[in-house]
Amino acid sequence: MLLELDHIEKRYGGVTALSDGSLTVQAGEVHLLLGENGAGKSTLMKIIAGIVERDAGRMLWQGREVHLKTPAEAAAIGISMVHQESLLAPHLTVAENLYLGREERLPFGWVRRQRMIESANRLIRDHQFPLRAEWRVEKLTPAGKQLVEICRAILHGSSLVIFDEPTSSLSSSETAEVFRIVRTLRDRSVGVIYITHRLDELQSVGDRVTILRDGKTVHSGALAELTTDRIIQHMVGRELSAIYHRDPLPPGDELLRVEGLNRKGELHDISLSLRAGEIVGMAGLIGAGRTELCRALFAVDPIDSGRVFVCGREARLRSPQEAVEAGIALITEDRQITGLALRLPIAHNITLANVRGISRFGLLDRGAQNSAARDFMGRLRIRASSARQLCGRLSGGNQQKVVIAKWLFRQARVFLFDEPTRGIDVGAKAEVFNLMHELARSGAAILMVSSEMQELLQVADRILVMREGRITGELPGRSTQEEIMRYAALETVSEEIR
Amino acid sequence: MSGPALERVQVPAVPAKSRRERIALQRLLPFLSLIILFIALTLASPNFFTSTNLSSVVRQTAVINIMALGMTMIMINGGIDLSVGAILAMGGLLGTMAMESGMSIPMGVLVGILTGLGCGLANGLMITHLRVQPFIVTLGTLGIFRGITLIISNGLPVHRIPEQFSYLGEGNLLGVPFVLWILVGCALVTHVILEHTRLGRYTFAIGSNREAAVYAGIPVSFHTTAVYAIGGMLTGLAGMIEASRLMTGQPTAGQGYELQAIAAVVIGGGSLQGGEGSVVGTLVGAFIMGLLSNGSDLLGVSPYLQQAIIGAVIILAVTLDEVRKRRTAAA
Repeated sequence: MLLELDHIEKRYGGVTALSDGSLTVQAGEVHLLLGENGAGKSTLMKIIAGIVERDAGRMLWQGREVHLKTPAEAAAIGISMVHQESLLAPHLTVAENLYLGREERLPFGWVRRQRMIESANRLIRDHQFPLRAEWRVEKLTPAGKQLVEICRAILHGSSLVIFDEPTSSLSSSETAEVFRIVRTLRDRSVGVIYITHRLDELQSVGDRVTILRDGKTVHSGALAELTTDRIIQHMVGRELSAIYHRDPLPPGDELLRVEGLNRKGELHDISLSLRAGEIVGMAGLIGAGRTELCRALFAVDPIDSGRVFVCGREARLRSPQEAVEAGIALITEDRQITGLALRLPIAHNITLANVRGISRFGLLDRGAQNSAARDFMGRLRIRASSARQLCGRLSGGNQQKVVIAKWLFRQARVFLFDEPTRGIDVGAKAEVFNLMHELARSGAAILMVSSEMQELLQVADRILVMREGRITGELPGRSTQEEIMRYAALETVSEEIR
Repeated sequence: MSGPALERVQVPAVPAKSRRERIALQRLLPFLSLIILFIALTLASPNFFTSTNLSSVVRQTAVINIMALGMTMIMINGGIDLSVGAILAMGGLLGTMAMESGMSIPMGVLVGILTGLGCGLANGLMITHLRVQPFIVTLGTLGIFRGITLIISNGLPVHRIPEQFSYLGEGNLLGVPFVLWILVGCALVTHVILEHTRLGRYTFAIGSNREAAVYAGIPVSFHTTAVYAIGGMLTGLAGMIEASRLMTGQPTAGQGYELQAIAAVVIGGGSLQGGEGSVVGTLVGAFIMGLLSNGSDLLGVSPYLQQAIIGAVIILAVTLDEVRKRRTAAA
């Protein structure tokens, strides 16, 4: 047995993050770690990687009990972690990042550049990674950065590598590449712990599974013995009924019409129409221009030509401010960077886009602010200790609900959801979908961008497909993944980052 | 709207009340240190707790304090203004020159304030339109404003000022220094702006996450510029007070004041990253520094050592604040 964790406990202040975490990993297996956000996966991994110390429980490494105090100690015995958000130095090259902190010790801190680059390139060639040691890390795609982290783990001869949601920001061909690497590591009898939210990818990588819920290990066993439904049941603690399917509403007034929109190098001749009560899906591969379209519609980026009509009137939007005033809301794919002020309370964030709505005679009305916040926290079931809690301390799903609440309070009519379920757990996903349905029922028009086709097929009334900045197809809601892929990836599959 | 796993609410295991009390106590730490410092100085020196000395502390700190109020807004916005010392000098100079040329005292003060407003506006417009970091822009304008002030004055101070002008910095109203009234007034207005107006709310939002503020449809450039303009205005007023205390318009006034203003904000819980800070905190910060320097004078501590002590206090204050934040920010 490579690693054994036994009844691990961890508290942060008064909050119990982990009350009974157990996990065993063998050399040469891929061990999946599943659980909702807040279930304690990250804490357990941080304990293994020496980022935080456990309060109680035993951790055995190759049969001997260890207490890791720093990531360096963990690395020294052969444990490394590939982080979800890249922890690389962007201004340094791939090679420099690979050897960061582990340069050869020469007098006067001298660094042998050439040798570093050569050995890094040798490693990259060995594994057939699409990388060069001389490249600067800031120029790499998210997938490229992840590869660098993986290289770092391999380079330092780790016998246990932890992958923390490696594919959450990758395209499908990049995902396949990650799987290939994970399997290579396994074949070299490295132990792999693999954390993921994407239940569809389990079968492609895993051997055994451990499921955490509320800080406890609730199930551990071979993957082959579990169905996806059982897994979800373990994760959320009860059965997940089929909640999604709904009957499309009769479409109402046209709330958004786009005619011949162009933006040089990104968007070509986009035309579309959204009606009140509609949920329109937007499918496509990573880089197809879906996020760019959202940004252009929200006037974050200027358009070169084309006309946009909001609620029947032509809108020449020059800034997000004008887009908001016209009634458009953008729920961005990256809520931590563009969606929320993490260091401000929930109440401030919910009212941020509509401060006028809580002002009286130019002064803020705290009572109105707090009652609005409480109202939305109740309606959207935002789990928090109070409206004063800082958004940075909420789970991903709850953060997403705060973002949505912000636009509900602004009374937007056109909602652009860009990857609304990224990084949130199964339960919260269902809630977000329900919210979208409710929004549609109350007369909003919704455009939902998602890379998870299953999701689009479940939620959307019809689906638009984009490829290389163009809308290449429109499908009814009850289509199949194959049909979407035909439009999304007709010629590009083979060319993509390979 | 029924989804799974909703009823599970993450609540800390310890009783919420004691936790909240502990956090409140830690937040009061700067305030407590000020009181302790006050009591210690009262015990240590018989000359401390006298009305003459206390009003001199108030007069000495008022200038930095008023500047620091503007700096608080700017730093909450996520910016910084290194040019305040130069703005102070320019405001004081132009205000006194206006009086020298025959304008009334209130008009002269107004000229000083408007000069500050103009400088702050220039800073704000450059920061938002050139998209250069505030640190760099105001480092540049620090030189530019100071240079212009020296050119206008030819390097010479303005002396011919009406005698009554000294009332601004040295007079008393209802038994307390006039500047204290001004300070309290400015502090109240700044506090109300920050906590109770849209501008204040946006200031926190911009400092906490500028991108998110843009995406929320907030006119970020406008509100950022406004904050620098208000900061400049307060600095212009501080410049007039400084001029009144010295009874000269000094083109070289205010050198190094920017660092003292920043220090006051930081000791009071403000952060260079933005999104944090408060008027009360800044006042406490400025008074802690004022008392330290006054106390050192009274106790005969060498002025050289004084500087080192204040430097150490800045680091200590911020360290304690960081510890507090780390503790309260449980995963």
